[in-house]
Amino acid sequence: MAEVVRTLRLYWRLQRAAMRGALQYRLNLVIGVATGVAYQGSGFAFVWVVMHTFPAIGGWSLREIAFLYGLRLTAHALYVLPFSSLIGLDWLVREGELDRVLLRPLNPLVQIMAKRLGVGQLGDLLAGLVLLVVALPPLGPASALFCLAAVVGGALVETAVSLALASLSLRTWNTIAVRVFADDLFSKFGSYPMSVFGGAAQWALTFVLPVAFVAYVPASVLLDRTGELNVPAPVAYASPLLGVALFALAYRIWSRQLRHYQSTGT
Amino acid sequence: MIRVESLTKVFRRPHAFSGPLGPLRTLLTRRYDERTAVDGVSFEISAGEIVGYLGPNGAGKSTTVKMLTGILTPTSGLIEVDGRVPWRDREANARAVGVVFGQRSQLWWDLPLIDSLRLVGDLYDVPAARFTGSLRRMRDLLWLDDFLNTPVRQLSLGQRMRGDLAAAMLYDPPILYLDEPTVGLDVMAKQAVREFIAETNRLGRTTVVLTTHDLADVEALCERIILIDKGRVLYDGGIDDLVTAYAPPRRLVVELADDETRTFEIAAGQSIPELIAQVTAEHPIRDLSIREPDLESVITRIYAESGR
Repeated sequence: MAEVVRTLRLYWRLQRAAMRGALQYRLNLVIGVATGVAYQGSGFAFVWVVMHTFPAIGGWSLREIAFLYGLRLTAHALYVLPFSSLIGLDWLVREGELDRVLLRPLNPLVQIMAKRLGVGQLGDLLAGLVLLVVALPPLGPASALFCLAAVVGGALVETAVSLALASLSLRTWNTIAVRVFADDLFSKFGSYPMSVFGGAAQWALTFVLPVAFVAYVPASVLLDRTGELNVPAPVAYASPLLGVALFALAYRIWSRQLRHYQSTGT
Repeated sequence: MIRVESLTKVFRRPHAFSGPLGPLRTLLTRRYDERTAVDGVSFEISAGEIVGYLGPNGAGKSTTVKMLTGILTPTSGLIEVDGRVPWRDREANARAVGVVFGQRSQLWWDLPLIDSLRLVGDLYDVPAARFTGSLRRMRDLLWLDDFLNTPVRQLSLGQRMRGDLAAAMLYDPPILYLDEPTVGLDVMAKQAVREFIAETNRLGRTTVVLTTHDLADVEALCERIILIDKGRVLYDGGIDDLVTAYAPPRRLVVELADDETRTFEIAAGQSIPELIAQVTAEHPIRDLSIREPDLESVITRIYAESGR
């Protein structure tokens, strides 16, 4: 317990130091946040336009789609805000920055997370929460709790995939292209009812890359649509736990790969 | 304090194929290129020693230091630092060692030096009262006061190195690893760094492992050196013993009337007055001196004999 408190305290101290550093380049910060908001705004506008052209996608109404979209985006924001510096892992490895991290008596992943806060992704969180609140179906206390767990679980699914792929960077492989691709699949396909993609694609997006479990499966539970899913209803109800399990697995992969870290030449 | 036995590190990389489909083949085949950076190194270092760990570029020095700090996991062999296995017990090991890489700063680039030192104090759980005492000592020993509030990226190399030394010793680790701490520094700054290391070792009985290409550092600080090349130990012992054992010939250096300088090796047992007489008979001489063998010539010779 004391160790957890210490880790959180140090995370906060390092994060604050990183922010003080970033504030030295005020203009970069402003541009970053503004771009983030504009980017998510355009995504939001796109859905709005689509929904005004077609009354429903795969039998889902505008409101249902907006809820799904909001759930996905909020989960995504909860992943990317704390883990945004994981994106630069290839660079950290190449520049020998990871050596420095490994010299400190603190969990390496926590140190990497504390390198910066994804302020540019604040736009994601804002847009996600607005959509979620506006399109929220009437929920009982149990469903509300499930909704909360689903957002965290979804964030953990995305984190797990990103962390597992990033682990391979520790072997000096360039993984950034693969990670960007996976991220793209999550954001392009994760926000729509999977039934529109058909058998093989839906199967792959459920069981190969678990895109469906970020938002589509839990949203189906909350919207009482589990009958359409390609997984049994109990599995759908357990979907937030899948995030926890995947994250635990990804963390094990990360720790293993850290043992195989080869550092740079000097 | 430090015990290393048959330490070996083999780096394994996927074989890079050439040709248009090369990258794909690299990805799909299981062929690896292996390079042995450290090859069966053994040594022991006692508490309070200052040891120079020397070798040409690519000899395996940095790889050894990275295994001692727990950054790298050895392929085989045994390491024990202050009773711990660094790679298995990385965080506990980190608390016991200070590390300075001359080529790379450990400080927070965009923040004032004092912020970096405070963060280091936090990371190593230094209590407030001890931190204040340590900081005062570092300020005195390394004259940090002039630039304590300057962002690290604006510091000169010498100032930055003093900041790095302060950060490495702030939490009083019993062991200090220095990887080329004087690289690129001017004479004054080098002197300041050396004095700090000597002082730290004398007062705190800190064990120091020093990697450097500047043999003046070694002569100023170390009584013992470990010489490695191609991942193997070539010599481990006192500096004086090394010079005696390898005893390269003394040399007679003469400056000729036409500004030319020539060097004659003095063979063992050869009479120096006779040699001088012989040389002066053949050439008009303006000046002459006899050069004693120095560490550099000894080490150059050892490298040459090891086939480099």
